[in-house]
Amino acid sequence: MLMPDPDQAVIDRRDEICAGLKAILPAESVIDSRESMKAFDSDGLSAYRQLPLAVALPETVEQIAAVMKFCRKEGVKVVPRGAGTSLSGGALPLADSVLLGLGKFNRILEVDYANRCVVAQPGVTNLAITHAVQADGFYYAPDPSSQIACSVGGNVAENSGGVHCLKYGLTTNNLLGVEIVTIDGEILRFGGKHLDAGDYDLLGVMTGSEGLLGVVSEVTLRILQKPATARALLVGFDDTGAAGKAVGDIIAGGIIPAGMEMMDGLAINAAEDFANAGYPREAAALLIIELDGPEVEVDALIARVEKIVRKAGATSVRVSQSEEERNLFWAGRKSAFPAVGRISPDYLCMDGTIPRRRLPDMMRRMASLSQQYGLRVANVFHAGDGNLHPLILFDANQPGELERAEEFGADILRSCVEMGGVLTGEHGVGVEKRDLMNIQFSEDDLKQQQRLKCAFDPGHLLNPGKVFPNLHRCAELGRLHVHKGKMPHPDLPRF
Amino acid sequence: MTDLVVSDLHQVQEAVRDATEDRKRLEVRCTGTKRHLGRATSYDAILDVSSMAGIVDYQPEELVLTLRAGTPMNVVETALAEARQMLPFEPPSMTRILGEAMPGVRGTIGGVIAANLSGPRRLTAGAARDYLLGFEAVSGRAELFKSGGKVMKNVTGYDLSKLMCGSFGTLGVMDEITLKTLPVPETSCSLVVGTESLAAATQQIATIFASPHEPGAAAILPRKIAAAEGVDAGAAFTIVVRLEGIEASVEDRIGHLMTMMKGERLPEKSSVALWRRIRDVQPLAEKPCDIWKVSCAPSDAAQVVAAIDPRLECQYMADWAGGLIWIAGNSPRIGPALRKVVATLDSGFAMLVRDVSVTREKVAPFQPLEGAHLELHKRVKSSFDPLGVLNYERMHEGV
Repeated sequence: MLMPDPDQAVIDRRDEICAGLKAILPAESVIDSRESMKAFDSDGLSAYRQLPLAVALPETVEQIAAVMKFCRKEGVKVVPRGAGTSLSGGALPLADSVLLGLGKFNRILEVDYANRCVVAQPGVTNLAITHAVQADGFYYAPDPSSQIACSVGGNVAENSGGVHCLKYGLTTNNLLGVEIVTIDGEILRFGGKHLDAGDYDLLGVMTGSEGLLGVVSEVTLRILQKPATARALLVGFDDTGAAGKAVGDIIAGGIIPAGMEMMDGLAINAAEDFANAGYPREAAALLIIELDGPEVEVDALIARVEKIVRKAGATSVRVSQSEEERNLFWAGRKSAFPAVGRISPDYLCMDGTIPRRRLPDMMRRMASLSQQYGLRVANVFHAGDGNLHPLILFDANQPGELERAEEFGADILRSCVEMGGVLTGEHGVGVEKRDLMNIQFSEDDLKQQQRLKCAFDPGHLLNPGKVFPNLHRCAELGRLHVHKGKMPHPDLPRF
Repeated sequence: MTDLVVSDLHQVQEAVRDATEDRKRLEVRCTGTKRHLGRATSYDAILDVSSMAGIVDYQPEELVLTLRAGTPMNVVETALAEARQMLPFEPPSMTRILGEAMPGVRGTIGGVIAANLSGPRRLTAGAARDYLLGFEAVSGRAELFKSGGKVMKNVTGYDLSKLMCGSFGTLGVMDEITLKTLPVPETSCSLVVGTESLAAATQQIATIFASPHEPGAAAILPRKIAAAEGVDAGAAFTIVVRLEGIEASVEDRIGHLMTMMKGERLPEKSSVALWRRIRDVQPLAEKPCDIWKVSCAPSDAAQVVAAIDPRLECQYMADWAGGLIWIAGNSPRIGPALRKVVATLDSGFAMLVRDVSVTREKVAPFQPLEGAHLELHKRVKSSFDPLGVLNYERMHEGV
């Protein structure tokens, strides 16, 4: 993976730039020693590491604005970072960049039950939002598996999902407003406690923009009343196709479970070794289906789902009889990644989405790729919404295995697109999938996205080298060829 | 004015290319039911996209519907009904308040998306923008581009679907779009509760939403409207809260809420009819009046309404737990009063939806943008349509 060539002129001015930052921020908010910067040289995609020029840790939105203005003026790149849990390298520093850490923005500013929302600073963790409101029976729905550590600002940047997306949506569906700081140092608010944009939905555009359009400095999140009950079914199948069909039958039956997860044989056994959740080891596929809501509703739907899965050929069905048992069902799934980590020195976690009906084709394709590359793959799958998480097992100490695993992963993602799906369901493009973007998008598709980038950041200073495989200059992107006569409407801005 | 009739995106590309070269501005129009939403502007030609219609692919068990933007809403609804599914954002019909452009025509899915129109379920299920998974369009640069996809979970690249929703055709001409669908709830009914003030009403709704009884929609009707709609609860205001789901669940929840709120039950048939009328703003539609809509934090509803001089004798009703207020009246003072109060709130906007006594030539229909926000909107518009070929200034001056 090649990052944009660092600007040597900027690197040569490192001392001057650090001094400039120290003039804006308190001394302890600028980190410029190599040892201390090590903690920021990578994110959740730890195969890639890079020290930035300096790390800036502002404490106020005015300080963020001042850093942005300074960097814009000096032509220095800025890489925003929340908790650094991105799985796609979204917060990977560049050698000629200032890493802007939002870790000090760790306060919940307001809990507003009248309007059912929480206003928080971007460095607050996802789980802390739920903790702040759970005593009153509320919670924040998006629950990425890193929720104990990941920040809500990072959730906005990545449009994070979780296991309950099918029913409750991703971050974008649970975010009411943001305050952002632009590369010009302008502080803007999009959305708020009201519901609809009324203008261009720039809140929607910011969500999932991977830190390329602005720095999130405050969020307003929708909170929900916690469902009265939740129960889960653990269903084994001797064939992934049958499991996939069961998922389709449940939805066709008018039921939208709170969560519907699938694991394949290798993942089932790894998770069972790790968590002793009572998973059926002999099954080729396992579904965890959770229903939530009023008790009478959950009981009635559990009965319906049980009937549907049995008809679809389930080989084992267990229904949770207590909260403890439900948590146990999930314990295996939630520890699937560390569990796979125990059976292999290293693994790569992929994240593509396919139309669910293509699941059997995808499983066959993965089996044949697994043979071709000589690497094992374990599958964990948000079955309800078609989001796959194949875990490719490899050993980085074996020469060439990392590269082979990456190739294997790229082939899986190519297959996702071929089958009518997409490269990433919830982890983001970042650097990891950047060079695959032209599999899914045409040159014109990507140019249009980059033109939008230019509307926010004409100098490509914010998090460059992420998302887009080729960086075009904004002036070049903005050019329009008009053949007859002069350009009309000369008063219009054309960046 | 000439009509350029196009039937696919390549023809749209040609028409837009010609327009850029001839320095013409186009009005993108399908059935024209929402033509009166937004600023009154004149264009050199109409780009008629009504023949880009039809369902392309519908997979109910995948919850995914791909169709062309010009597909009439009645066609969409029939297809969904056959699979017992719905568009969860409950798209309203604007013909009650804006009139019918053509007899019996209720608009198209493209219009619903372009205007980001959502009904009562928006409060809990999200807006049109939350259900657009992807699209294909031609920009004002005459380039064909796509964004999003045909799957439910997707974060690949910028989410331009959100931007297209509510952009009133100013950024691109859409053809194929993909929407997320959901099953229709098996049954529904409503809780009806009387209360003495608007502030009390929003508080009581907050109490209901703090219960685990899963309310799905909540409206507030002043007594006069409540009486006309047959739900007079004997108080100054009537709160109507809709519950949906399987029968056992709805029965259980309505029972709890009737006890908790000392309310009455509105059975399914009447409830469905009432919510349809609320969705389409029908209680305010008949009298020839200006109609404004205010989007605000639900708890700000009372403050918004208090800003209107009672001597103006406006009628109003609120949906979205108080977060959407429809105001009907005939005075040039209504708009300035609403814009002034909205500016004092943390967030929200006031939009002129129907102009009868004031005119949208003189009153900006969209809440005016200022400063950096306006400049950013101009740059965003320019990134898709640098020459202002598509629906130029339909939303804001210079955008």
